[in-house]
Amino acid sequence: MSTPISRAMFLRGLAGCGIAVLVSKTYMEWSHPSPKFPCRLLGPSKEIGHLLRNHNVQETGKPTTTTSTRVTIVGGGMGGLSAGWWLKKHGVDDFVILDLEQDVGGNSSCGKNDIGQYPWGAHYVPICNPESVYVRQFFEELGIIQGHNDAGLNIYDELMLCHEPQERLWKDGSFHDGLVPKRGLQKDELEEIARFFKTVVDYRNATGGDGKLAFAIPLDLSSQDPKYLALDKISMEQWLDDNNFRTKPLRWYVNYCCRDDYGSTLTNVSAWAGIHYFAGRRGVAANSEPNSVITWPQGNGFLVEKLKGILSKQIQIGSLVTKVSQEDSRVNTTVMDSKTRAYRAISSDFVIFAAPRFVGARVIANQKFSHSQHLSYAPWMVANISLKNLPDARGLAPAWDNVSYYSDSLGYVMANHQEITTRSKPNVITYYYPLSENDPKVSRQALYTANPEEWSQRIVADLQKMHPTIANEIISMDLWPWGHGMIRPSVGFIWGDVRKQMKDRDGNIVFAHSDMSGMSNFEEAQYHGVEAAKTVLAGLSSG
Amino acid sequence: MTYALLITAFVISTCGLVYELIAGTIASYLLGDSITQFSTVIGVYLFSMGIGSFLSRYVEKNVAFTFVQVELLIGLVGGSSASLLFLLFEHVDNFRILLYSLVSIIGILIGLEIPLLMRILKERLDFKELVSQVFTFDYIGALLASLLFPLILVPYLGLIRTSFLFGLFNLGVAIWTIHLFREQLPWKNSLRTTAYALVIALVCGFAFADKLTGIAEASAYPDPVIYSTNTPYQRIVITGSTKDLRLFLNGNLQFSSRDEYRYHEALVHPAMASMNNPQDILVLGGGDGLAVRELLKYPSVRSITLVDLDKRMIDLFKEQVLLTRLNGGSLNDPKVSVIINDAFVWLRSVPKKFDLAIVDFPDPSNYSLGKLYSDTFYKSLKAALKPDGMVVVQSTSPYYAKNSFWCVDKTLASVGFHTTPYHAYVPSFGDWGYVIGSLAPFKPADEKRYPPGLRYVSDATVAQMLCFAKDMLPTVSSVNRLNNQALVHLFESEWSEYVDAH
Repeated sequence: MSTPISRAMFLRGLAGCGIAVLVSKTYMEWSHPSPKFPCRLLGPSKEIGHLLRNHNVQETGKPTTTTSTRVTIVGGGMGGLSAGWWLKKHGVDDFVILDLEQDVGGNSSCGKNDIGQYPWGAHYVPICNPESVYVRQFFEELGIIQGHNDAGLNIYDELMLCHEPQERLWKDGSFHDGLVPKRGLQKDELEEIARFFKTVVDYRNATGGDGKLAFAIPLDLSSQDPKYLALDKISMEQWLDDNNFRTKPLRWYVNYCCRDDYGSTLTNVSAWAGIHYFAGRRGVAANSEPNSVITWPQGNGFLVEKLKGILSKQIQIGSLVTKVSQEDSRVNTTVMDSKTRAYRAISSDFVIFAAPRFVGARVIANQKFSHSQHLSYAPWMVANISLKNLPDARGLAPAWDNVSYYSDSLGYVMANHQEITTRSKPNVITYYYPLSENDPKVSRQALYTANPEEWSQRIVADLQKMHPTIANEIISMDLWPWGHGMIRPSVGFIWGDVRKQMKDRDGNIVFAHSDMSGMSNFEEAQYHGVEAAKTVLAGLSSG
Repeated sequence: MTYALLITAFVISTCGLVYELIAGTIASYLLGDSITQFSTVIGVYLFSMGIGSFLSRYVEKNVAFTFVQVELLIGLVGGSSASLLFLLFEHVDNFRILLYSLVSIIGILIGLEIPLLMRILKERLDFKELVSQVFTFDYIGALLASLLFPLILVPYLGLIRTSFLFGLFNLGVAIWTIHLFREQLPWKNSLRTTAYALVIALVCGFAFADKLTGIAEASAYPDPVIYSTNTPYQRIVITGSTKDLRLFLNGNLQFSSRDEYRYHEALVHPAMASMNNPQDILVLGGGDGLAVRELLKYPSVRSITLVDLDKRMIDLFKEQVLLTRLNGGSLNDPKVSVIINDAFVWLRSVPKKFDLAIVDFPDPSNYSLGKLYSDTFYKSLKAALKPDGMVVVQSTSPYYAKNSFWCVDKTLASVGFHTTPYHAYVPSFGDWGYVIGSLAPFKPADEKRYPPGLRYVSDATVAQMLCFAKDMLPTVSSVNRLNNQALVHLFESEWSEYVDAH
């Protein structure tokens, strides 16, 4: 009877195995060190923007010059640019568009490097609904809509309609087509997904008692039937529960969509907004499937560039608005030059305030709107990653939008997807990550306190789940933290009092921003921009 | 010594499971359907282990000696299993026979290990302890292998290196056992020499694993490779025997010098001879200059513009004697101007108008190539034609991929071309298809309009080419657009049925 194995010995053996795994893993990581690549932290000028938070910037700013225009547009995002587009279209040239950044665009900003262009935020627009008349008009003007067929359907520029394959989902070790989970689902899970889509299609076709569409784009054209507005009073999660949608793959998908469009989760997003994502889009085209999207390498930066071309005389960059005040039917705007820190004043008949609405509380003197603290904005991290080559993965070939079922991120978009070249060459992928799990204030802190190194490591680790060798392919990574990335359509916001108040003009200050829809997208921003311009045009002609 | 032997149990069980996982993974890579592959590999493997255990009873004397031999064999067979499977995949008619033979051999050897080891340990432990300890180490090893394999080995080392590495572990066990039983073992020195020789072989295999992958690829070609190069866009391989010169791009046959005249005569002459005084010709793709050679047979031709992506390919077919002999030096003809660019990108900005455009792209096997068969592409092409202009498009095989072929036809028709589909038999490709798109209805040429010296095309053969048998007619009909890539989907599904036949 020699050497029986004691329990201690057995445990030691097990521990030994564990250590062996750890040691070899460490060795492997050491012998394959994670490659170094340049990582830059870019992003909106939060230092300049945050100057507004300490009020002395308003007190100390003594304008040295004063100019006069008919209209001042504060903010050069989609709302402000669209307002300018409409004014110009209707014969008003005497206006300025002020933006604190070195370029206009806001959430539709884009970037460019040796490889190509890429978006920093919004990166597509769905083909437009019949009721989205401003969008259609704009697209026709830009040649995005090239004409109409005999049935009156829009013909879109095919190089802009998103090419196939559009979307792929990483699930169970390989990519499959589309973002709705497909692989390895149980019968009841599949049935629930089918029932969900039937339900939202019913909503898509529904009209309220007032004869209006239940869910329209822009959302202000939606029916005011209480039956539908009641959906705004519960969360999307509650609605899923109430309708017995309980299986995991479906809830994953709906949650993904809420995070994608609103930067927020099922628990926070109102059911009206959650359903609007699916039921709002009714676009049809002569030369594509219904509900297609149009996209460009630089994302919606393409639209910004076109508007910049039209509005080159009016746009003034590097201009931080520190104060907007009204006196005797004139509106005075104080502007600080972001470089020289010199102040100037602009006196105009009207101001179109097209900056995010929380900024208004700090800038507009004696503001009527008193609920700024109720506005909730989702923080985002966006990264543009230049790759020598996107590593092959199992399953479907690279798509425009590439998502993992197992990741907290929204996946990545291929910037060069719409190219018509057959060369394989370096490309840029845009990685989107909404910090939606916690309260936005906490997340915003997390967004800013982590350094670029930490962020880049986190992002690479996330991408490695889909592409184990991707670290070797990275040429560079640029990070863009959006502290106030997009407004969140929380429960009760869209059809509540706060939003109603937000839309009211304040004397000769008229508001235009997608904040006023509670949804951050091109159609809403443009709608409020054009509506504000219309109000101002009416005021100018009567005054 | 007892511990040393128990650790041996741990090492050999780790190795054993790793070989099983390697075989299962390679089988699912190469044959697809991972559930079937893993299930059958595991089944065959376990059953073979049973055979091994059964056979162990016939080992009567000197158990340690047999054990060392078994370890050396496992080191060799197991260690080289991944590379054997990859290298031989192209060369064996029935890969499954190879796979399951290899799995059986490894399984039998692994099956021998534990019984032999237990018999070696028999004198040192009583039965209860023996069984408990050997199996404990055996199963811990299995756990370790199952964790290491997906987390570390496959991502960091790859399959070929992993298999060599674990072969080395088996050899390590052999050398260790030789050392432990150095007093009792016969043939001690030759065992040791064999072991070290095998170690050197496996270390070389481990170090040159990348080269092995290359050999596995190159040995896919039937004839000797006489030229090969990697360009930024593709891998060009030219193979040659006394009677046949073949060009492969990314492993796909582009032409064989024996019958390429059939392909290129059929591509060029039906359209070209039907035209009245064709002067300016556009060739997209076709950097081999063989279509250009056919075009130069028409005295009316004033200019030929060739657009190809790959400058290296063009230079090759301009300069290499073997190749210029084949294309008659066509790319050096003064009428020919070569443009290195993406055809689609170039086409959208070209001011010149052409009488005929010859479109000779690779088959639409991926999404970026699929864009070159889209209605948007054909619209751009149409805009670059003179009023009576024509295009002819190589359109894959109407026999192997009939719906793909008719999809090209439908797509050309959708942008306003009169289409004339036809096909020709090219032995090295099979039945091959083309579509003529013309702005005025197409009328085949009279015999006298064909240039002299053609070996395949005549008015009689063209009449045949226009006729399609029932088995070539489409079952679905769709237009290929950038936003549906219908052709790539059809092409993938249709050719995948023939993958085994290649």
